[in-house]
Amino acid sequence: MESLGITLKWLLAAAWLLPLFGFVVQILFALKWWGRKSKTGAYLAIFCIGAGFVCSSTAFYLWDTQVGHLVFKETKSTSSVGVAEPASELKAEAADEAHSKKHSDKQTVFSGTFYQLAQFGDLKISLDYYIDSLTLAMFVMVTLIATCIHIFATGYMSEELVEDYVDHQVHSHDGGHFHRPGRFYRFFSYLSLFCFAMLGLVIAGNIFQVFIFWELVGICSYLLIGFYIERHSASTAANKAFIVNRVGDFGFIIGLMILWTSFGTFNFAEQHAADGSVRPGLFSMVTRDGHGEFAKTFDGKDVVLKTQQDEHGAWQAPPETSPRKTIAYTLLIVAGLGVFGGCVGKSAQFPLQTWLPDAMEGPTPVSALVHSATMVAAGVYLAGRFYPMFTPEVLLVIAYVGCITAFVAATIAIVATDIKKVLAYSTISQLGYMMLGLGVGGWAAGLFHLITHAFFKSLMFLCSGSVIAGCHHEQEMPKMGGLLRKMPITALTMLVGVIAIAGLAIPGVYLKFWWCIPYLSINSDHGYVLSFSGFHSKDAILATALGYTKLNPLHFLLFLIPLLTAGITSFYMFRLWFYTFLGKPRDQHLHDHVHESPWVMTAPLLVLAFFAAFCALGGEHGNLFQTLSHSEPVHVEHGFDGSHSHTVSLPDSHSLHAKVGDGASTHDVAGRAALLAAFIGMAISYLIYVKRVVNPDDIKQQAASVHAFLANRWGFDDLYDVMFVKPVHVVAKFASAIDKFLFDEILHTFVRMGIAVSKWDRKFDEGVIDGIVNLMGNSTHSLALSLRNVQTGKIRQYVTFIAVSVVTLFVLLFALYPKG
Amino acid sequence: MHDIGSLVVHMLDETTKTSVRLFAPELVLSGTIVVMLLCRILPVVWRIPTQWVALAGAFTAFAWTLYQFDQLVTPGGALQAKSFFTGLLMFDQFSTFFRMFLSLFLILTITLTVLTGIPDREDGPDFYTLLIGATIGMMIMASANHLLMVFIGVEMTSVPSYAMVGFMKGRRKSSEAALKYVVYGAGAAGVMLYGISLLAGLTGTGSLPDMAERLSMIVAQGKGIGDPTNRTIVLASLMVLVGLAFKLSVFPFHFWCPDAFEGAAAEVAGFLSVASKAGAFALLVRFGLAFSGDSKEVSSIAFALGIGLGVLGAATATFGNLSAYGQSNMKRLLAYSTIAHAGYMLMSVSALMVLRFSKHANPEAVAEANAASLSCIEGLMYYLFVYLFMNLGAFAIVALIRNQIFSEELDDYNGLGTQCPVLCFGMTICVFSLIGLPPMGGFFAKFAIFYSVFKATSVHWVMWFVLGVGAINTVFSLFYYIRILKAMYIKPRPEGARKVSYDLMPVGLFVLMICLPVLGLGLFPARFTETFHHVASVLLTGR
Repeated sequence: MESLGITLKWLLAAAWLLPLFGFVVQILFALKWWGRKSKTGAYLAIFCIGAGFVCSSTAFYLWDTQVGHLVFKETKSTSSVGVAEPASELKAEAADEAHSKKHSDKQTVFSGTFYQLAQFGDLKISLDYYIDSLTLAMFVMVTLIATCIHIFATGYMSEELVEDYVDHQVHSHDGGHFHRPGRFYRFFSYLSLFCFAMLGLVIAGNIFQVFIFWELVGICSYLLIGFYIERHSASTAANKAFIVNRVGDFGFIIGLMILWTSFGTFNFAEQHAADGSVRPGLFSMVTRDGHGEFAKTFDGKDVVLKTQQDEHGAWQAPPETSPRKTIAYTLLIVAGLGVFGGCVGKSAQFPLQTWLPDAMEGPTPVSALVHSATMVAAGVYLAGRFYPMFTPEVLLVIAYVGCITAFVAATIAIVATDIKKVLAYSTISQLGYMMLGLGVGGWAAGLFHLITHAFFKSLMFLCSGSVIAGCHHEQEMPKMGGLLRKMPITALTMLVGVIAIAGLAIPGVYLKFWWCIPYLSINSDHGYVLSFSGFHSKDAILATALGYTKLNPLHFLLFLIPLLTAGITSFYMFRLWFYTFLGKPRDQHLHDHVHESPWVMTAPLLVLAFFAAFCALGGEHGNLFQTLSHSEPVHVEHGFDGSHSHTVSLPDSHSLHAKVGDGASTHDVAGRAALLAAFIGMAISYLIYVKRVVNPDDIKQQAASVHAFLANRWGFDDLYDVMFVKPVHVVAKFASAIDKFLFDEILHTFVRMGIAVSKWDRKFDEGVIDGIVNLMGNSTHSLALSLRNVQTGKIRQYVTFIAVSVVTLFVLLFALYPKG
Repeated sequence: MHDIGSLVVHMLDETTKTSVRLFAPELVLSGTIVVMLLCRILPVVWRIPTQWVALAGAFTAFAWTLYQFDQLVTPGGALQAKSFFTGLLMFDQFSTFFRMFLSLFLILTITLTVLTGIPDREDGPDFYTLLIGATIGMMIMASANHLLMVFIGVEMTSVPSYAMVGFMKGRRKSSEAALKYVVYGAGAAGVMLYGISLLAGLTGTGSLPDMAERLSMIVAQGKGIGDPTNRTIVLASLMVLVGLAFKLSVFPFHFWCPDAFEGAAAEVAGFLSVASKAGAFALLVRFGLAFSGDSKEVSSIAFALGIGLGVLGAATATFGNLSAYGQSNMKRLLAYSTIAHAGYMLMSVSALMVLRFSKHANPEAVAEANAASLSCIEGLMYYLFVYLFMNLGAFAIVALIRNQIFSEELDDYNGLGTQCPVLCFGMTICVFSLIGLPPMGGFFAKFAIFYSVFKATSVHWVMWFVLGVGAINTVFSLFYYIRILKAMYIKPRPEGARKVSYDLMPVGLFVLMICLPVLGLGLFPARFTETFHHVASVLLTGR
């Protein structure tokens, strides 16, 4: 185990630092060594991230064989037993035992310190690592997608490989287009920097380090959104993204301060000092008891932090008699909300979702990598990573925020016509799903969706990139149509993505050969399902949500709205596909010039399509989900009964799969409902956009106000404009007026007085002081000049001086010798 | 027969087992001279550039002294302080520090000559022989423990110096300067030798540690200076001091200095201004401490000498600074600046002797005076260490600029600030340090010396006068130093003046290497003063 930890540490560190190396080389030397027209820099970037992928997948494989394997065997045997012979008390007990055993082995975490940056008192700022199965899955996902996107981008960005790039979207004063040098190398150096930052965020072993890389991915996002900085829309969008994120980060910093003040450490895991002592980490201090409760003080208002280890190494609260650290329960909630505030900003959750659609101004590979698959998912990742610190109240907030976001964004996506905007809103909506999953207690479900979503959404973004490149930078869907023949690979891979995100499946299809692949048993209680990745992950989230609403009937919307949203998602995604690829060409001129993209762009599509389809193979019994749930916080699995403490309850993950009487399990109910919703959505879309049963324009006119409301993005941008931007402008004008007419005037008066005084002073200075100084100076100077005469240069005099001086000195000494 | 035999055996034993090892750095330097001269004679090795041989020798000597110093300073080191060569020379922290200092300085000077190209290939062996020979003399001065070695050290330093001053044979001024230096030096040496013979005759020994004891025996008790013996002792000591004053260019024995420096190459002037002063100050301190003893009479003589040195220091500083006003030649200006700095340093020796030989009744005051006298030596060593870099830096930059504009006149420096920024920046640092502005090393050096003089004011009122003159002199010096900067930075470069261009690498690096320590010493003085404090306390109290 020890050696595995060290191997993993260095493998991941290599994967993490290679892009940094690539960035440094490119930003410093690419121009000098290779010039603007060379792709060498891009190849270096691909090599770095590709090697990172090899390292990460090696690490994942090692983990799987050495840690994951043991656990899977146990769970698999129990679950298969449970399916084969249900309702056997004895077996159920055995299964329970196996589960508890699994729990004791659970959470294999390798943590430690790479390098300590600074120490202020107790506060250590260091580069730590925290490696569990979530870290590994994220590493593999990020490096794989990034590699594909790097390769795609070498084709997509090749227009930049010139000395003189003409930006047709920027007009200069004389009516011509803006000319600038190509920035191909710079694009790839930014991508490398981003990969470094993202991987650093994932491997980070303390919350402060997370914050550092959090900001670093933010700056990369800023640079990449504003890649076409000369376009006004791009620079505005970059600013908007950056500023909106600062709002979230404000909460993050508040959370950090509370954590530092109350816990005295930033580290996730406990730290082993050189002298053998162990300092508790954040997670160990809030370890729950068997009922999922914190250790609390007598009155229940404060949480006692578990800072002592018992003989088994488990963390315990110190007895009441000894000094102990506590944190007010409300403060813990505020800290959780604060950190979640950062997640809201980064993952574009309601109410900070407005920046993400605008961020589509960046080049499409950026949208695929940064603004769909990885960076925006970082908020979800952090919420998952920080899960042990969240109280049920915070989780409720998370669930509602996710729910609202999912719904709002999905409705806007219905009316969007820009192909990338549709995908952007769909991204926001899906991120809302993930948050919802986390919030209702489906830790593994939410992160499962994170991974599957990353694959199919990056796939779809790249497909849209391919379409955009093929259509000569036309992004409006109403001008497309009928592209299936012209770009078959793009269209079909896109279809894979659409099916995946819509969550379509064909139940009951038996695929025997999948048994041959290790760990991939795809049995479900209800037979076998042929489906792509999105089905499984969405299923898992909805099932947890249903379980949640069963426990807390008050929050029934948390199931209904996502269910509705699932239908809407299916609708608008098929709308996109039908609009773009089927039907008659709506712009013949454009259509004539469309061409399929070169293989550097289509090959990554195929790779991603494969993963979008099959990465979640086996659903919740598949390899990916099981690997993730291996790192699930211990207290999650058994749920939480909140009825004692007047908070919400969280569902127990076993109960979701348990059949209720003779009927279907919660999981199956949710799955069927979701599938139905998806099919309905697809069907409506098919009827409207392919069969033209109803003319969409008629609907638009019928519900003009609704359409305007949605097209106006629910008015959020206007609202923020009125609420924040305008008032700030007013205050700024007022402040500048005060500055100008009050303070400046005062200053000017002082200056005038100063000038007057200094005029008098100067006269005094010149007349009196200088006079004295000059007098002294002149007198010493003339004395000095007269001293020159002593130095006659005549050697006879010099020698005489020796004799005279000796005698004089002797006489003087004799005369002045202290008597007595 | 038997006695002489065993004596010879004993001496051989001591020489081979102890003395030669302790003397090894000097022997290495001597060996370097031999090698260089062989290079000149043998056609086989004719092609070996002598400067590298010299540099290698200097490095070896430096490393060796560094090792010795390290061993001495660390508690429980391999080497112990002792006198060697039958008591002629002293090996202790103080002397080893100065030998290390001198060999470091030798390295820097040789590097400078390599960069400036003086001497040329033909004269290389001669020049480096003289340079290294003089350095050996200074090292002997620093470790002299016997009046004989005092004289030999001084002369061994002086004779090569004369030749070096006149080294630029083609120039009339150079030869004239050398001649003046020789004659003046001979005169001073004569006086010193007379003083030494008087002292040796009176005390019957040349050994400095024994001198105080012998003196206390022969000084007529309670008769004061009226007694002829006492008077002779004072006269003899004074005459020895005159010899040292000549080396230190102390007023009124400084007349050789401006002429010699102006005539010599700037590299030589830089070498003489720092190295020979360091050696001479080491010797002066040792000679002054030779009066230590229980005898009140001897102490009072030393006390009077100390007061005299203080007055001379004040006079020297004033004279040097004021004379520098009217100078238009850079080397001459720096020569007077050198004189002034010798004056400051002399003040600290004066404070040392005044504190050390004061008559205190109560033990508390004695302890306080002893502590204060420690800080005098500490300050002197710190001053010398800073002075090494700042003065060498100034002379080196003069030499480097001379190679470009072929002039050492201040007027020709006009507007150089924009043309050779690194050199002028280095000059700025050196000048600020020479003035004594914080945060340069020169500030703390001057501060340390004035502090020790201030401590001495509690013993005798004359030291107030010395302190006041020293402070005023700092202001005086400001004017002529600033003139250099004014020329470089404010005055415009005349039309049609020769363009100065330097390839930055070796020259710029060298200048920075010399000038940055000036700044560094000012920013982190504590690291050095701790070592100096240790050295001083071993010298004064044996601990």
